[in-house]
Amino acid sequence: MADPYVLENGSEIAVIGGGPTGSFFSIFALKMAKMIGKELNVTIYEPKDFTKDGPRGCNRCGGLISELLVQTLAVEGINLPETLVQRGINSYRLYTDHGNVFIGTPSHEKTIATVYRGGGPKGIIGKGKESFDRFLLDLAVSEGAIHNPLKIDRIEYNNIRPVLFAKGQRIQEPDLAVGAIGVKSRTYKIFEDMGFGYRRPETVTAAIAEISTHSSAITEYFGNSVHLFLLPIKGVKFAAMIPKGTYVTVCILGKDIVVNTVNNFLDNRVVKSILPKTETYKVNCRCLPKMNVRAPKIPFNHRVILCGDAGSTRLFKDGLGAAYIMGKAAAKTAVFHGVSKQHFQKEYYPVYRNIIIDNKFGKVLFAVTDAFKVHKALNKSMFRVVQKEQLEPSSQKILSSVLWDMFTGNELYKDIFRRAMNFPMFFDIFKGCIRI
Amino acid sequence: MKDGELGRVYGEGEFIFKEGDEGDRMYVIQSGRVRITKKTPSGDITIATLGSGEIFGEMALFDRLPRSATAGALDEARILSIDKKKLFQTIDRDPTLVFKTLESMSRRIRRLDEEFTKLRKSKIDILQIFVNVDETCSFILEEAKNFIKADNGSIMLYSDEEKALLIKAAFGTEWNPKTKLNAGEGIAGDVLKTGRAELINNVSMDPRYKKGSADINSVLCVPIKGRNTHFGVINMSRISENLFTIEDLNLLRFIALYASIAIENAMNFSRLRNVADEVLMHATMLDMLG
Repeated sequence: MADPYVLENGSEIAVIGGGPTGSFFSIFALKMAKMIGKELNVTIYEPKDFTKDGPRGCNRCGGLISELLVQTLAVEGINLPETLVQRGINSYRLYTDHGNVFIGTPSHEKTIATVYRGGGPKGIIGKGKESFDRFLLDLAVSEGAIHNPLKIDRIEYNNIRPVLFAKGQRIQEPDLAVGAIGVKSRTYKIFEDMGFGYRRPETVTAAIAEISTHSSAITEYFGNSVHLFLLPIKGVKFAAMIPKGTYVTVCILGKDIVVNTVNNFLDNRVVKSILPKTETYKVNCRCLPKMNVRAPKIPFNHRVILCGDAGSTRLFKDGLGAAYIMGKAAAKTAVFHGVSKQHFQKEYYPVYRNIIIDNKFGKVLFAVTDAFKVHKALNKSMFRVVQKEQLEPSSQKILSSVLWDMFTGNELYKDIFRRAMNFPMFFDIFKGCIRI
Repeated sequence: MKDGELGRVYGEGEFIFKEGDEGDRMYVIQSGRVRITKKTPSGDITIATLGSGEIFGEMALFDRLPRSATAGALDEARILSIDKKKLFQTIDRDPTLVFKTLESMSRRIRRLDEEFTKLRKSKIDILQIFVNVDETCSFILEEAKNFIKADNGSIMLYSDEEKALLIKAAFGTEWNPKTKLNAGEGIAGDVLKTGRAELINNVSMDPRYKKGSADINSVLCVPIKGRNTHFGVINMSRISENLFTIEDLNLLRFIALYASIAIENAMNFSRLRNVADEVLMHATMLDMLG
């Protein structure tokens, strides 16, 4: 007897959430189904209009697409047009209380993209740039998905089949319901209420603000670099300033983020020293989005799967990279294997768990970074090693590449950790400490 | 480079990699065009022109051999490069990442298959032409017509059996398939005899000229020289006032040189085939007798 949980020609998939995870899922599910000669009906339920400026179209995120994701998407045939990319990034500048250091892309190319997830900060409409989320949603639609702007508010099981409701109306009874939702809205409640054991992830609060000034001032003061701060500001783990068209996005991660954190950060001596001096600038838009720091234990059941921020995502960064990995892993499982709990356990869960395990390595690396942040001797010595590496063309640039991958989200934390366990590099840092 | 652009910009004509280089990365074109060329003994040939979204340089990554061709920006091109180590690590985690690359490579193999079939077909066509004397003559005359504009033209070869020049291929109105000229007879017969190429304007004044249905004005007549003797001529004529020039004559002489090699080869092949047929016939007869 045929497996009832295997998707067939004409099977229906409902994707709740049209952000990057939902779009990536839909793009790959449709592509892969075509490869094996199946036609799937994919409907993406997303009430938000990503072309709108300000909070109406925004998905509250730093909007940084890592080098790895830019390159992987290019190999997948998804090239980011210049109308989408606010600024191509080719370097990082790392600041601490004791100096700053410049780390360039290993390939000397602009390989990191800064984007707006929605239309951008309020009032930006008409500046000729597109929304990243809209771009992906349009790609999903061009692959054959249907975009429905309905807001799904309830999902119930009926004979182990999910039934979708909106405003009390029964909308669809798909073969698979994909929860491609974030942690910033309360949509996760729909899946908690289904009763299969899903609980929303643990979160911390981050702060995001948009500083507006002239485009020329951004080029002059920030160039094509992401500016990263490891400063001893209360509650701030690390912060980044990401240059875009006429804005710089400030992202602050930490334990006790409050409304005033952005102001405290901007008032810091080191931060002030790099902000425009002659040009006026102002904080235009700010929010305190939640970030997933611990993934839910049960992210799937028969014919239901959760991915994206509501599932497992990468710790503190590369959320878009995680959206790609998890959206695609869910699509592969559904199309090539099936949509039962057992199928998801066997095929999807290993990818899900890998991110959770990798985040444990990430936590250790961030703890080490904290030590470097507060320890003056370590801090200065680290600078010295990186500067030496950057000046020597023949150098293996181990510490530079560790820092680069750590902050760009370019590699798994596990692999960075393995590379960071390098005796000669530690010896150099130790030598530097003694000299200090 | 604009703010929103990714990758690296290569100027017109700038090389991205060269044939024989070690390949440690593949490339994806973000904008502009890239020309892929390959060295051959007769110069560089373009094997592909690629545009936005297309990948290249992936072969060296998979077969670990040096670059098989040179890639250069045809106009200003923006290229994103992908490091081999990172790519394989990502493929290890998600093997489906190669689907798109395989799709692109399959498309390329399919195109090469089509081109290979076309080349094979034209090679077979050419082989078939060059083993037949009449078809070789028609082919040469067609080619000559492409280079030298003329109203009439013919190739005549000397037949040892008939002791006369016979028409093997012709175009235009001014020719008769039954025409036979003895050596020394008419302009063609005289050119065969003397072995001198001639450009004759106001041909009606030439005593060797035999008038046909149209008023020919200008004539080119070039001998086809074999290793030891002349064995034919190429004629071309114009009715209009537009006379042939000395450049036309030199060009036809040049064509006649290559024509002689091709026709001699075809004649030899034809003779060889006849001999082979005869041998086979004798062998069969002996077998029957035995």
